[in-house]
Amino acid sequence: MAGTLAVTGWGVVASTGVGADEFGKALVDGQSGLRDVGAMFAEELPQPAAHALVDFDVRDHLGRKRTGSLDRTTAFAVTAAGLALADSGIRLDDENRDETGIVLGNTMGSFRSIAEFDRETLVNERPYLVEPLLFPNSVMNCAASRCAIWHQLRGVNATIPAGRISAVSALRYGGTLLRRGHARTLLLGAVEEFSAHRAWLEHHAHADEPSRAPLGEAAALLVTEDARAVRAAGRPLDAEILATKTGHFDPADRATAPADGLAQHLGAALDAAGVTAEQVTTVATGECGLSRVDAVERAAVEAVLGTGPDRLRAADTLGDCGGASAAVQLAAVLALHRDDPGRDGQVSVVTSCDPEGGVGVVVLRGWSRRGALR
Amino acid sequence: MDRRVVITGLGPVTSIGIGVAAFGAGLRAGRSGVSPITSFDTTGFPHVMGAEVRDFEPASLLRRLDPRQWGLASRFAAAAARLAVEDSGVDPDRIAGPRSGASIGTCTGESQVLQSLTEEWVREGFGAMSPHEAAQAPTHQIGSAVHRELGFTGDSMMVSAACAASNYTIGNAYDLIAGGELDYMIAGGADAMVRWGHAGFYRCGLMAEDACSPFDRDRTGVLAGEGASALFLETLDSAVERGARIYAEVLGYGLSCDARHPVAPDADGIARCIRRAHANAGVTPQDVDYICAHGTGTPANDLTEANAVRDVFGPTPPPMSSIKSMLGHTMGAASGLGAIASVLGIREGFMPPTINYGHEDPALTGIDPVPNAARPARLRVVQNNGFAFGGNNAVTLFGEVA
Repeated sequence: MAGTLAVTGWGVVASTGVGADEFGKALVDGQSGLRDVGAMFAEELPQPAAHALVDFDVRDHLGRKRTGSLDRTTAFAVTAAGLALADSGIRLDDENRDETGIVLGNTMGSFRSIAEFDRETLVNERPYLVEPLLFPNSVMNCAASRCAIWHQLRGVNATIPAGRISAVSALRYGGTLLRRGHARTLLLGAVEEFSAHRAWLEHHAHADEPSRAPLGEAAALLVTEDARAVRAAGRPLDAEILATKTGHFDPADRATAPADGLAQHLGAALDAAGVTAEQVTTVATGECGLSRVDAVERAAVEAVLGTGPDRLRAADTLGDCGGASAAVQLAAVLALHRDDPGRDGQVSVVTSCDPEGGVGVVVLRGWSRRGALR
Repeated sequence: MDRRVVITGLGPVTSIGIGVAAFGAGLRAGRSGVSPITSFDTTGFPHVMGAEVRDFEPASLLRRLDPRQWGLASRFAAAAARLAVEDSGVDPDRIAGPRSGASIGTCTGESQVLQSLTEEWVREGFGAMSPHEAAQAPTHQIGSAVHRELGFTGDSMMVSAACAASNYTIGNAYDLIAGGELDYMIAGGADAMVRWGHAGFYRCGLMAEDACSPFDRDRTGVLAGEGASALFLETLDSAVERGARIYAEVLGYGLSCDARHPVAPDADGIARCIRRAHANAGVTPQDVDYICAHGTGTPANDLTEANAVRDVFGPTPPPMSSIKSMLGHTMGAASGLGAIASVLGIREGFMPPTINYGHEDPALTGIDPVPNAARPARLRVVQNNGFAFGGNNAVTLFGEVA
């Protein structure tokens, strides 16, 4: 495959574990990250439980210095980026940091940070008496740019606010950048935080969906490089991203409904990856109890892949991670491979759908950390 | 084996004009879009001026979308995209479908929707948030609006790089078409003005009082702006085959990150970005005839930008003007509007001015800001700068089609 991406390490911050090993063990053991979140915030919450990191303290991961002004989204992203870089074994120095960057998906940055900043303009004696140090937190590229400052990534720095599919979009965008020479190493993934603000926003947006999974929060980032270069250097791969497709289909347009659109993109992605449906052993879907979205995904997956592949529903144990949904799906697939040489070389598919009609597909091949044939 | 990529349609939605004819006339005349802000209550703010888009009637511009279902940034973006397609003269049916996509930038997303939701929370509690607004709040609604308006089913790429976002989208669209992934793309960005942005800029000491005067000795800062930019991109072959008017070719782009400060710009990071863009586009500094500056009008930005440009170009760089003097800072739309001004300049032979220019800044020796009046010029290669909070830098290059 020409121009494919190698995953050479990854980092994750999720309710079931921080770091690839802890996260992977929890996944294999079937542990759920669902917690009582009643005491997390001063505000009342619409649901009592969420897949949240209730005891997360940024200082445990990043120390005390310079962490005071990081919001939760940013703290997750900076932490996951550090874990991913360490996992890949890449050493950043003045030779390579100009060629190293990050593409980070989300939904809107931190709605909590935006709303709390805006709140100051309403409740203070003077509307401009906001805290200047918190102004950058109200801009949605905050987390990506803080990752760059923290880890000294001087290459491409981009934020992809594409909602549930945003990690697929980040892979698509980042893959294009790598292939076309705009970077050599990119951290690709997504982040979403849990907050009272987001919980209520989602509650109102999906009030007609009682089967909706509890909310989750997470950040997951993959270290990606040109696969050929990695192989030429004799370095191991955790995975090879064989194909990435995204598209958008008007949910109200029956002629090109999202299910058909996702099926088309899934078929095209398999073709581009050079694999057949029969070779796909696992499909990690984004299903999270939003009936109209789940129906799209199920129909497309069954139409193209049949019922053969194992179905991995990350939301079952990680919750509805919003803008980080596809990112945790990718992390879950990588986690299955990490300690299981029996899966070496197997092909998996990640599918993602958004209520608005966005669809995304990733086809990847994974290896264990113990596997010889990477 | 790259395909050559050209720009054949422009869709500006701005405070100095909606549509390419009005916008182009405004640029040539050096018109100011600044007026007292009306979209939020400015009581208690010492500074109350901004560049709002007036007379925006989405219902008369949009063919498919019902404007009532979308937030303002989405309406801006979809209207701009529709204008760009109409300007290109392409048959809208020909470009519907999977070979067409959009890459849309934004700084603050559906900011007025978020502002309204925040007001509901603060005044009446979380339970009072409007479900209608909650559904409009996700940022990718903006890209969704463009796709639905135009019937595109290819990539809908949303990019936020704060105020440099549109240049990222132009680069992405160029890459996808040049590399053969897609055939037609809309690139650009949209943002709507909000109270919290106004407060933030003011409180950080970055906001001017009445006028934005980039590169002037006495410049005091930005004025907030809003609007949208959309550019229609296709291959050179496709444009020639259908006999389209070609504004300019996309030559390439570069991205970099300062990785230094959340807010303050950095000349090293910007200079790196410019050099990357030149290398990607295959041009040298001597080739560049004009620079459409980021030019926010803050003392720090303009000095930093000038230092980076002088680092790359030497002591007398090509003329470099700031259309933010007319449009305010339109955030996610800004570098896309800069791109529109750049390619209009190439096609029609002029450099837009920096208005409100009064006094030369001794710290900016060698910088020619095209003061106060547009200047006729043949522009073969134009550089368009976009920088942002978080040290997100993006530079695009456009060229006359030989």
